[in-house]
Amino acid sequence: MSIACEDLTKVYEGGKAGWPALRGLTFSIAPGEFAAVTGPSGCGKSTLLNIIGLLDEPSGGRYALHGRDVTTMSDLERSTVRRDAIGFVFQSFHLLNRMSALENVCLPMLYAGADRPAARERAAALLKKVGLHGKEKKTPLELSGGERQRVAIARALSNSPKLILADEPTGNLDSVSSREIMDSLFALNAEGITVVMVTHDKELAARAGRNIRMRDGRIEP
Amino acid sequence: MTALLNAARTGFAEIWAHKTRSALSFLAIAVGSVVFIDSFSAIVHTYSLLEKQKQVSGMARMRISQNNSQRFASPDDVGPPPVFTYEDVTALKARLPGMYMISPEGRDWMNVFEYGEHRVMTGIHGVTPDWAKRDFVYTLKGRFLDWHDVENKLRVCVLVRKAPPPPSNAYNKTMMKKYNYSGGYDTLVAHNDLLGKKVTIDGYTFTVIGVLEELPYSKRPANITGYQQDYKILAPVTTLIHYNFIGSYQSLDVNIDTGSEETFAEVERKVANFLKIQFGDAELFLIENQLEAIRERIATSFKSALVTISLGMLAFLAGGIGIMNVTLATVFARTKEIGIRRAIGASRSDIMLQFIVEAVMLGLLGGVLGSALGYLWGVPVKVMLGMGGSPIEPWMPLVAVLIAAFTAFAFAIYPAWVAAGLKPADALRAE
Repeated sequence: MSIACEDLTKVYEGGKAGWPALRGLTFSIAPGEFAAVTGPSGCGKSTLLNIIGLLDEPSGGRYALHGRDVTTMSDLERSTVRRDAIGFVFQSFHLLNRMSALENVCLPMLYAGADRPAARERAAALLKKVGLHGKEKKTPLELSGGERQRVAIARALSNSPKLILADEPTGNLDSVSSREIMDSLFALNAEGITVVMVTHDKELAARAGRNIRMRDGRIEP
Repeated sequence: MTALLNAARTGFAEIWAHKTRSALSFLAIAVGSVVFIDSFSAIVHTYSLLEKQKQVSGMARMRISQNNSQRFASPDDVGPPPVFTYEDVTALKARLPGMYMISPEGRDWMNVFEYGEHRVMTGIHGVTPDWAKRDFVYTLKGRFLDWHDVENKLRVCVLVRKAPPPPSNAYNKTMMKKYNYSGGYDTLVAHNDLLGKKVTIDGYTFTVIGVLEELPYSKRPANITGYQQDYKILAPVTTLIHYNFIGSYQSLDVNIDTGSEETFAEVERKVANFLKIQFGDAELFLIENQLEAIRERIATSFKSALVTISLGMLAFLAGGIGIMNVTLATVFARTKEIGIRRAIGASRSDIMLQFIVEAVMLGLLGGVLGSALGYLWGVPVKVMLGMGGSPIEPWMPLVAVLIAAFTAFAFAIYPAWVAAGLKPADALRAE
């Protein structure tokens, strides 16, 4: 899935002129690429990821996802794209703690209208794929950090996305778990899925094929 | 459908996860249901009572009686006024064919009633078979008076056996004792089977052809016309006139049921004409228009029913606001969850549906609980508290549950809309 941004800006409301988080980004990511977005805290990495993932709207500029102008999409269309084409992996996992791992993974499929038995079957297979066989019924609170992030990856994969957006996926994990998660992401990239990952970690960024460095809402040359 | 089912599952899980909060909010709705069911059953009770009263008393009722103000208005006129005789009744009947009931009534007081060794005081009413057509709140043993008895002035009578009085306070009991000069008669009739026996009234022998047993107070519709008489003994009016129980100076009252409300005004005019022809312009007799009084009484009871039902509705409103409050609180407490769901593809309508379904489930739970409590309140508790149970029809809880669900639905729309309007990125940032 290709990403093309042109002069992308984002200004958060507050104060007289607002607070500019993105000050004109122009870049593109080709389908199948593994792009790492790096930069110090507050440089706008997460904002950029939210905009790429259609969780937020840019204040100006153009953004085309797979050749389609995102700014003209309705909320329902954006929801549908998020559901069917994008998988998210967050630093703090963002799982629903009252549901089991299996149900968490089922959720995007259910929103897509899948019937429950089929969704559960696929969710079980995905959990097995990320190495959580036998832990389907555990809730996120009963799992370790690494396991939770693997549940999140399984959830991200549930509707076979073409783009995975990872916001500091290893930020809350120990080194062993971090490596496992990164290996999973690289494996998914090898299957042809475009991955955009925000990270602080320069070593991880170095493993990625592409590195977008940001500072003060701009891309460093 | 799948979406609805999923929302219901999530809703149930959420309700279960927040038992206390959920219980409090559906209790509010439950209270609404209780009040609603109670008020509705009260209305239905009133309505069915009125219907029964209408059936028993009839609607198109009027009554001819002496105009006391005319009789005593002038010092020069004091003297025996003209009376409405049985012949007048016959003439009236001839003038008004097709009436459902024309029932003349005359009475005598302080009669001596003898049976065997018993000697008690009583009163006696002279009537015709038409008397039994309205306000008949008795069960009859033997037979009632017939036209043969009336035409032949037979000395036959029907005794009235009183129902035990309703529970009452000491003062009322004292007053009843004080004025009940015929208490001995009531006891005599209550404890002896006099059917077919010969009795003596003021020295004349009468045959008891029937005994009217008053229905117990709980099963008796109140007299809709508001006209009450303490009947003890009924005998043919002609017999009582013939044997001078009803003196020539005594006027008969006439109760009329025209049989239809449409013809009522016309009949009233005809009766007025009849009175003028028979007795002149002096308005010595009055026509009491009972229909109007009955209508007013019905209107009043419906007005109070409306007040009651509006109380029920207010209770639902309060319950609904409770649900809105809880749903809004839930939305704010679950902002992050909303963000997560939006991130993985839930649309605005998915989020709205989820919160609405959850609230409707609370409403349904509240409605069901309220219906159960309403039934408990309406029947055993109220009876235990001595308030008189209100009948609960099977459809009342059903309606209460539906209204509860609808109230919850209506009041969840705004919070659900707030939830759906959250921006995914903002919602995800919430703690």
